[in-house]
Amino acid sequence: MPVDVSMQVLVVDDYKTMIRIIRNLLKQLGFENVDDAADGSEALQKMQEKKYGLVISDWNMEPMTGYELLKEVRSDDGLSRTPFIMVTAESKTENVIAAKKAGVNNYIVKPFNAATLKNKIDAVFDD
Amino acid sequence: MAAQTAQLDPKRVEEIAKYLKKGRDGDIALKDVMVLAELMVGSMQSFFEALDSSVYTELREIADYITGAKDEIRNLQANDIKNNRIPEAGKELDAIVQSTEEATNTIMEQAEMLMSADTSDTEAFQAQVNDAVMQIFEACSFQDLTGQRISKVVETLNFIDHRISRLAEVIGGGDAETHLTDLEAASEKRKENLILNGPQSAEDAISQDDVDNMLNGGSEGDSANAPSQDDIDALFD
Repeated sequence: MPVDVSMQVLVVDDYKTMIRIIRNLLKQLGFENVDDAADGSEALQKMQEKKYGLVISDWNMEPMTGYELLKEVRSDDGLSRTPFIMVTAESKTENVIAAKKAGVNNYIVKPFNAATLKNKIDAVFDD
Repeated sequence: MAAQTAQLDPKRVEEIAKYLKKGRDGDIALKDVMVLAELMVGSMQSFFEALDSSVYTELREIADYITGAKDEIRNLQANDIKNNRIPEAGKELDAIVQSTEEATNTIMEQAEMLMSADTSDTEAFQAQVNDAVMQIFEACSFQDLTGQRISKVVETLNFIDHRISRLAEVIGGGDAETHLTDLEAASEKRKENLILNGPQSAEDAISQDDVDNMLNGGSEGDSANAPSQDDIDALFD
């Protein structure tokens, strides 16, 4: 089933350049409704105000990390089913294991390309 | 320690023994006490002389050690490091961040402009592409300057490393147990709890294929950081 590109997507990263890159890649993939947040707490606040069909989050941010955001989202009844992709430079096995245990839907290691982002988004909505 | 080998004068000791062996009746006279004291002091003369000499030698060694350490601390040029080299290295790193950000923004602006350009007028579009490509080339020149700035920072780190190593060599002994400030301890704890490892070197990082395998329940491939089967099994319990 094709991914609904009209869904609201939230990109969470503390680097504006990375947000810009992901926004452009998403635009190329057809996603036009993209919001962004600079850390986990800002993202959580936005998620409580608006329904998002997908969250794409970095891991290492201050004050709330993407890992903390993921755990908060999964423990909130209203948000727990939101698809969540981690896009991060945290490339150790323990990070992947922790994210998986916390309920991440997919995990992308930086640097990445458009094809990887597309494949992971497709995989999340194919499940 | 040399003082431990100092001996009482045997000749004097013998004199004391002889004196004490002399038969004595009644109370001990003051004269006897004086004679005995004189003999005792005489018998310890060589002991004190040896002790003086060994203490002097040890103090001399300690003084030399302190002088050496002071020289090394001076050679460390701590004030130069603190007031000049570290701030300069910080400025270089700030400049690197700024120049890479500027270059990235320039390249992205041009790329975004090309993505949204009107292609109906081929000649105008070609001119736009040429102009954008030139700006991208120019922006890429940051790499040369960045390389030179990084070399200066590495030079500072080597300078500090060289001097700290020499000081550690002079002082000797192993590393003491690290005592973190409350702030440092809290930061370390946060990193540990939130698994903040940061970017890894190419040989330590796992690849996207490794990640995909883990998430799909496959093996870890050839990564040096391969999880145990228990780790993988636990993911799917």
